[in-house]
Amino acid sequence: MAPSGIPPKRALPSKESTLFKELLNLYESRQLKKGLKTADQILKKFPEHGETVCMKGLILTHMGRREEGIDLVKKGVRLDLTSHIVWHVFGLIQKGEKNYEEALKSYTQALKFDKENMNILRDAAHLQTQLRLFDGLVDTRHTLLKLRPNLRQNWIGLAVAYHLNGSIDEAKKVLEHYESTLKNIPDYDVEHSEVLLYHIRLLEDLGLYQEAVSLLDVNAKSRAIIDRTAIMEYRARLLTKLGEHDEAEQTWHALIEQNPDSYEYFRGYFSNRSIDLDNITKETRLKAVESLREFSSQLPRAAAPRRLALDVAVGDEFKALAEPYLFSGLDKGIPSLFADIKALYRDDEKQHAIASIVEALRERLSSQPQSNSSESEPPTTYLWTLYFLAQHYSHISDHQRALQLLDLALEHTPTLPELLMYKARVLKRLGDPFGAARSMDEARVLDLQDRFLNTKCAKYRLRAGLEEEAQEVLGLFTKKDASSPAADLEDMQSLLFLTEDADAQKRNGAYGLALKKYHAVQKVFNEVEDDQYDFHGYSLRRFTLNIYLNLIPWEDHLRSHPAYIHTAIAAAQIYIELHDDPSLATKASSSSHLSEAEKKAKKKAKKAAQKSQEEAKKAATQAASTNEDKGLEPTAPKDDDPTGTKLLEHAGALDRAWKLLSPLVTLAEDNIDAQLVIYDVAVRRSKYLQAAKALKQAKSLDADHPELHLRLVDFRQRVSSLPQIPPEPIGSVVKGAIAELIPDEVSLETYNSQYVQRHSTSGKAVLASGKVLQKLNTPIAEVESALFGALNPEVVLDIPTAIDVLELLKNVKSERAEEFRNACDVKFVSSTVFKSPKELAEMRLKAFATAAGEEEQTKPEEAS
Amino acid sequence: MSSLPHSQPRISFASLTPNNLGTVRKLNSVLFPIKYSEKFYQDILLPETEDFCKLVYYNDIPVGTICCRLETTDGITKLYLMTMGVLAPYRSRGLGSQSLKQVITAAATHLAPKIDSIYLHVQISNGAAKTFYERHGFKELAVHENYYKKLVPHDAWILERKIEGVEEQA
Repeated sequence: MAPSGIPPKRALPSKESTLFKELLNLYESRQLKKGLKTADQILKKFPEHGETVCMKGLILTHMGRREEGIDLVKKGVRLDLTSHIVWHVFGLIQKGEKNYEEALKSYTQALKFDKENMNILRDAAHLQTQLRLFDGLVDTRHTLLKLRPNLRQNWIGLAVAYHLNGSIDEAKKVLEHYESTLKNIPDYDVEHSEVLLYHIRLLEDLGLYQEAVSLLDVNAKSRAIIDRTAIMEYRARLLTKLGEHDEAEQTWHALIEQNPDSYEYFRGYFSNRSIDLDNITKETRLKAVESLREFSSQLPRAAAPRRLALDVAVGDEFKALAEPYLFSGLDKGIPSLFADIKALYRDDEKQHAIASIVEALRERLSSQPQSNSSESEPPTTYLWTLYFLAQHYSHISDHQRALQLLDLALEHTPTLPELLMYKARVLKRLGDPFGAARSMDEARVLDLQDRFLNTKCAKYRLRAGLEEEAQEVLGLFTKKDASSPAADLEDMQSLLFLTEDADAQKRNGAYGLALKKYHAVQKVFNEVEDDQYDFHGYSLRRFTLNIYLNLIPWEDHLRSHPAYIHTAIAAAQIYIELHDDPSLATKASSSSHLSEAEKKAKKKAKKAAQKSQEEAKKAATQAASTNEDKGLEPTAPKDDDPTGTKLLEHAGALDRAWKLLSPLVTLAEDNIDAQLVIYDVAVRRSKYLQAAKALKQAKSLDADHPELHLRLVDFRQRVSSLPQIPPEPIGSVVKGAIAELIPDEVSLETYNSQYVQRHSTSGKAVLASGKVLQKLNTPIAEVESALFGALNPEVVLDIPTAIDVLELLKNVKSERAEEFRNACDVKFVSSTVFKSPKELAEMRLKAFATAAGEEEQTKPEEAS
Repeated sequence: MSSLPHSQPRISFASLTPNNLGTVRKLNSVLFPIKYSEKFYQDILLPETEDFCKLVYYNDIPVGTICCRLETTDGITKLYLMTMGVLAPYRSRGLGSQSLKQVITAAATHLAPKIDSIYLHVQISNGAAKTFYERHGFKELAVHENYYKKLVPHDAWILERKIEGVEEQA
């Protein structure tokens, strides 16, 4: 019998009603085939029963028949708009598509018709957390707690909701209430222990240190808190904050003894003694060094106090400490020794001291007779000394000296991959990407099972523009059944590969392929963001609160990751170029102009598409017969744009760029490149306020930045040439901003020449002023002569800037571009990047360790 | 400046695999005046020679190799020492002796087939090498005239050492 109050179209006779309940159970236990049969049984008699239609759709979606399933779900919703089941089902589908906002709307709708449905409430809470709608989250958690106050996680859920919403005080009250109701807690209860630590953390956040220590001590003693390390860490921190310095010092000391290589413990120990290790003053230096020396002798195996002492000490004391530190590292053959001490180079005096210590060692070891007397140093010490010095000289830009030392070391021991890797790096810095790739390849063939060497080699090949050859070596480590090494690395979310490959395509001018890879990086970040969803439920269920509350703010700053910032900027730059010159897109997309790489990509994509089609067919035939649950997430759609042609389309290019950049407005506030490209896109989208704001931010970071200079001119020029000023109040704000950014009374020509005079020895400034001249429609001869100023001996010109100057000359169709190229080729002796295209083609062959056609002897002749 | 307190050097051996063959090639190219054939590199990877073909490490850096092959004629199996070499800066530190001992021990415990002896060629200009092998129980067997086609002098000593097998337990 249908209970009263149910709309007639939903009510089912008792036989079908039982079947429907069975259907729900079958779905819960994922018996999809049986569920489908049951649904069909009901629908035979009641084809318009909305809830059953929805359930059938849901089951079909799980079985991989997505389109059909979703159509049914939508139909079901229309048939019964006041059923919580249909809305719940619809919400599940939307959640599967990661459309959290729409899913939450559906859940809200469902809750209208079933206010106390625990499942729906819980899912809604997770969606609200994912969407950071914390007000709503508090309400939902309140409802859940009222419905089931006996469930522990409902209490915790409410406390966490308050915490996320910024009401730490309320969170504390909830926890206190919760703890007072607890009875019969078993021993060694990890979950309870976590809750107590969370409680103490709240008290600490509220500044209630005394209360926090009391709670900690009571529960540490009763062993309710079982994480011993956490107890000590909390205790040391809290006592320091309370000013109980003696007791705090003991605790920090104990922690250091437990883990003598934790920099954090040393920082804590010293901050308790009012010494800030990161800001040593005259007064604190002596005490800090003394105490670090003591730690070093107490803890003979610990590296941290010795390394920290090098940060703190100065003068002769520094030398006395640095010598044994360096010797021990070289004797042990620690490859990362230079990377470890490089930070000390910020201090010139320390840099000189280190160089003279290691140089003296090299001199002594090189004159040492090669003998096996036990007093003499092992030959490996000399080798690591040469390696260290090579890094030192390359770091201070004496790359030729670095190469000499590396060649000396390679003559000594040709089998140490580090030497060849570093040689590659020096060659790269000298502007020889082909020689660099070759050296990295030589390192790789010494040990083919070393994935690090493999990846480095691939990266260097990409840097040399050898895209296909890079994939070849990467393929040695990727899954064999993947459609291509690149596809596997994309699946594995390799940011390194995606970024380097995209950059290589961009340099090769294959903008479509570059954009594809840049967007693939964005996808990785979307996936990481989506992945947190599961933790909203999991962390409360398992009471892993403390780490969860660290995760949430981390996710909020996810896109401040360097790989995201870099790729967002690089992609936006392409979009800006496409916007300014739409012919680039048509050039790139007409198939007659397809580059080799793009042709290959097309071919590959075709193959992959075929493969996936076959798989889909197979799956479809299987789907009808199996119970396999495919989940609710849509499978990756077929890639119908393998060469990125659609991304090149003019329409929407700026919007796509903005979508990538918008997180950077706040997350990359201190990155001037990000702010400048934000300006570029904003001003082209006629968002003048946004543009002005970005320039102001950039100016606050580096007022004399050459690329900012260019933008300032650009901004004034663009705004003054507008047919009408933007409507109020924007117009006057923009006007005011311009006046603030760039003086009103000077002409742009004068402004530019003043700028270049101020920075006459900077190659980058010369380049920027050249760009401005071009923008101001200066005769080409003048632009040329300004840019050639970059070659003056007193101008500091690095290779990347020289390449940009050359590019600019080519872009303005200068007849002197070739002249500039030749001059650079002479100026940068060891570089290959300024060779002619013909020479470059030959250079490519230089990039591989194993050259073909080596002579072979048929009969081995043995030498002993 | 005082002498450094340095740690005891570590000497170790590793079997050859297709993955570290590049290191063997690199060592051979600087150690020996001969370019070895691809056949040579295939043979040293054979499973039966694993115990007799090694890379020699000093403080975890590969600095030498020792490579032998098995030769069976008329039912008697001999071990032929094709190459042994250590990079110049690492000589006179016992690496060669340890490598040779390692191979001799492996030969003595080898059962199927039992190894009768180990032999090798030494260019007759290389007295130091001869002395080294004689210290390890090798005896001059003969002079192989015109053994080296391209190197001068062309002749080589043949040195041999019998392997006293470890008796099977009764």
